[in-house]
Amino acid sequence: MLGDQNELNVVQSKFSSNELVVAVHTNALLLEQEGWVDNRRILALVKHEFSFALFVILSVNIPPVSFSDLTIERIIPLDECFLCDTEPIPQDYQNIIFNIYYKTLILPFKVEISTESSNFASEVITAKEVKPVEYKDCIFAWLDKYKDLDKIVMDLNEKLGDFPLTRQKNGQGQGISGNRESFLKYQLTLKEPEFTHQQEFTIFIGTWNVNGQPPTALRKWLSCDEEPPDIYAVGFQELDLRKEAFLWNETTREEEWQKAVMEAVHPNAKYRCVALVRLVGIQLVVLINSKHYQHVKNVAIDTVGTGILGKMGNKGGVSVRFELHNTSLCFVNSHLAAHVEEYERRNQDYHDINLRTNFRRHPLAIRDHDQVYWLGDLNYRITDLTTDQVKYYLSKSNLEPVLLADQLNQQRILCRVLQDYQEGDITFIPTYKYDLNSDIFDTSEKARAPAWTDRILWRGKGIYQSAYRSHMEMRISDHKPVSALFKSQISVIDQAKYRKVHEEVLKRMDKLENEFLPQVTIDSTEVTFELVKFREAQYKDIIIANTGQVLAEFEFIRKPNDTSYCKEWLRITPYIGCIKPGEKCDIRFEVNLEQPLEELYDILVLHLSGGKDMFITVSGKCQRSCFTTSISTLCRAPIPLLNLNPDQLQHAETQQSPVLYSVPRELWLLVDHLYRYGLKTKELFELNALNEDIVRIRDWLDWGSLDPISVPIHAVAEALLLFLSYTKDPIIPYHLHDACIAASSNYQSCKQIIVQKLPDLERNVFLYLCMFLQELLKHSNENGSDVKTLATLFGDILLRDPVRNSRPQANRGKASFLYHFLVNDQSCLLIVPNNK
Amino acid sequence: MANRTGTAQRPNGQTQGKICQFKLVLLGESAVGKSSLVLRFVKGQFHEYQESTIGAAFLTQTVCLDDTTVKFEIWDTAGQERYHSLAPMYYRGAQAAIVVYDITNQDTFGRAKTWVKELQRQASPNIVIALAGNKQDLANKRMVEFEEAHAYADEHGLLFMETSAKTAMNVNDIFLAIAKKLPKNEQAGAPGGGGQGRRLVDGDTGPKAAGNCCK
Repeated sequence: MLGDQNELNVVQSKFSSNELVVAVHTNALLLEQEGWVDNRRILALVKHEFSFALFVILSVNIPPVSFSDLTIERIIPLDECFLCDTEPIPQDYQNIIFNIYYKTLILPFKVEISTESSNFASEVITAKEVKPVEYKDCIFAWLDKYKDLDKIVMDLNEKLGDFPLTRQKNGQGQGISGNRESFLKYQLTLKEPEFTHQQEFTIFIGTWNVNGQPPTALRKWLSCDEEPPDIYAVGFQELDLRKEAFLWNETTREEEWQKAVMEAVHPNAKYRCVALVRLVGIQLVVLINSKHYQHVKNVAIDTVGTGILGKMGNKGGVSVRFELHNTSLCFVNSHLAAHVEEYERRNQDYHDINLRTNFRRHPLAIRDHDQVYWLGDLNYRITDLTTDQVKYYLSKSNLEPVLLADQLNQQRILCRVLQDYQEGDITFIPTYKYDLNSDIFDTSEKARAPAWTDRILWRGKGIYQSAYRSHMEMRISDHKPVSALFKSQISVIDQAKYRKVHEEVLKRMDKLENEFLPQVTIDSTEVTFELVKFREAQYKDIIIANTGQVLAEFEFIRKPNDTSYCKEWLRITPYIGCIKPGEKCDIRFEVNLEQPLEELYDILVLHLSGGKDMFITVSGKCQRSCFTTSISTLCRAPIPLLNLNPDQLQHAETQQSPVLYSVPRELWLLVDHLYRYGLKTKELFELNALNEDIVRIRDWLDWGSLDPISVPIHAVAEALLLFLSYTKDPIIPYHLHDACIAASSNYQSCKQIIVQKLPDLERNVFLYLCMFLQELLKHSNENGSDVKTLATLFGDILLRDPVRNSRPQANRGKASFLYHFLVNDQSCLLIVPNNK
Repeated sequence: MANRTGTAQRPNGQTQGKICQFKLVLLGESAVGKSSLVLRFVKGQFHEYQESTIGAAFLTQTVCLDDTTVKFEIWDTAGQERYHSLAPMYYRGAQAAIVVYDITNQDTFGRAKTWVKELQRQASPNIVIALAGNKQDLANKRMVEFEEAHAYADEHGLLFMETSAKTAMNVNDIFLAIAKKLPKNEQAGAPGGGGQGRRLVDGDTGPKAAGNCCK
């Protein structure tokens, strides 16, 4: 067991008891995903019986605290398609890349070089090496129950063979191209310093709870600095306390206050409004110096109500986000829950605003922005001190003890709210609660304790706060406005440099992609067979070697207009497979000729999934054989087939031969041999012959020999069946089959077909065979033959289907048809040609 | 609170432009320099004795235009006549083709014309075709006049350049010219949209009739 025992136990609790978590790695950074969001993953190696799978798991907490923290993201079975390796990161001696490959998927994880990672990697490698049983889909059946999960990459269903290897896979899945866009973005982010520079922008943030009062002049607040800021973000709360505003979110105050802001911005610059957003009384406006306006893009706003019923807009937050040059900015104005004791409610409001703010087209959470400015009436109060004590310290200008009693400071220390934000030192007295139109703290009956309810915080890099203050002279509200001035570093893209880097990255990706294309070599692209003969299989092997760096999945693929990836005389084993880098695979090509072909020729396409194609030419000369020659030609061949000169052959084929036998010589030889030696043989047509005997008979017939052949009689019987099965056309032509079967109940009708429809030579062959079979049946007491068996066997052959056994239902009809000719004498039907 | 969707984007979208993916096929008589052109374009290399391509080599290369990035998936086909019948596997669905001939060999120009004809008849109707008169470095042995090829290209709406894989002359340029001419709308450029052209044999959607011939 590896990994921290606690973590391992937590992960194990996610699985059932027969799924054993062997090892976990709790902090792996997935590089292919966006490198800067939550890309941390837990890797778990899980064993079930004899198979392993790698689980990629998301966790709310790293390290995980409970199994409910964990969400399974991907599952990768450790089958023959699984590979992993490690690669160093240049100039990084702390981390290493752990790559997981599965078919076309690549998952690079950045992991710290540590005992944890090296132990984990070695467990995975060991698990991969262990191969107790052949990889079969069924041993990964235990993963089936996870299939419903989204995004799971588990290619078990796409096993090769079930579906064609479609080429569109090339475009997407291969190598790094699968996640090309995000890889590109990631690489560009790494190189950002090369094409960007930092430019300082001043940002003025203001927040004021205006207590429902109508607008007043704001220049003393918004233009209090000497230099005009580049950006204004001005937030108001309690803009309108009337019921209409609350219920229907309607108010005229929005416009009035907006006008007041526009009138009060710094006179030394022109501003344009980036966005204005309001929820009931919570309003936020972001302005930018017009000269920068063109560099603002992807502006989006959102509002989140957290008030009554947890939704209404009397409390909540409004946000504006946009990108300025290459930096993303987010401004949040919030008005959190009121009342001294409700600080936990305020914390909750803060979390709800974070959770529920959604910029739609720009799927960034608030915290994912480079810079976030959080302002508003956060409503945190001062506790642990009495109002008098507070006022006493304030009168002594001793803010420190009061700040210690500030709920926001306390809650932030406890990490309950705004924990990763910063706030500048507060040097101003509390901004709440004042008697209207005065600088005097609340003198009403309630005599609320003063509090720093109005605050400005920030998070992100390159932000320097140069001022944080309240504005006492603004007196219309019970709150004083607060403002902060920031000098913020904005990343600006240098277009020329960017182009260069962009192009460089693309070039590097191309190079990588091309390097990681599958590469194989084959030892020969020409497969030439020696003289190919009927029924005499030959094979040739070629070797495919994976010379590339990735798994090579190869497959012989179909050419346009072909029905299969090779011709029917060829067999390729294996025609599909996977070869690991550095390994080889033998491919066997086997020909078995059963067709009347003069030569063999085909070009095969060997395709590498995600890569190139190779062409392999298969060729060979064929030797003619009587077995695949037509009856017509055989009857006209004066001498054995292979002794014919080309002229004789041509004459025989074109029916111009001076010779015409009544039945083929070869048929006569076979039948005569059986007649002489086989009439008393039991199971004459029922035993299988050795192929070498068939080959000897083939040569005996094709070359011709005066000597009787000495082979087992069963081989001659089988040769007769083969002869009748492979003649170029069946003895009874296809077009007569239906008529024969229809007539099969009536001998006279059958006879009529044979006499009237069958060509002379075929009729001769047919009757000649029938006579021989009758002869055989005469000796049935010795050879055990019976008429039904013979009728069935020969019926199927003499009336053979265009595609073998394509109509098994017709067999009975064929047998009945032939039966008549085995039990009736029809020697009178035989026609003897004149010339012989 | 943390974004777990993994879809967050870096705010540098404006300058990035989009990546359009296109299938490009090279056709032409054997030994006119198809593989050499690709090798020069993709790897910047040249081999005096480039092996004959028996099959279809596959490489990718990206070119950057002002506003877009074009990624070529390049199929470099075998030129020998006996493989002619396999060419449709590669030009089918291609958005671009470079038909190459050798300026020192008139026959190869004739062959190039038949390729153009075949493409215009059988390939995608809006395929961008470029004609490349390669081996420009051997101009002293020229058998095909520039003007003749140029006029032919104009007449048939082809891009035309004389190139030299050996000296690199016009090699990047011809790919760049194609990239510029290709339509960059969403449909053509979407990853997988452009790449769809790699489908081998049409009607290949059902289970393949593989294995039938084994018996």
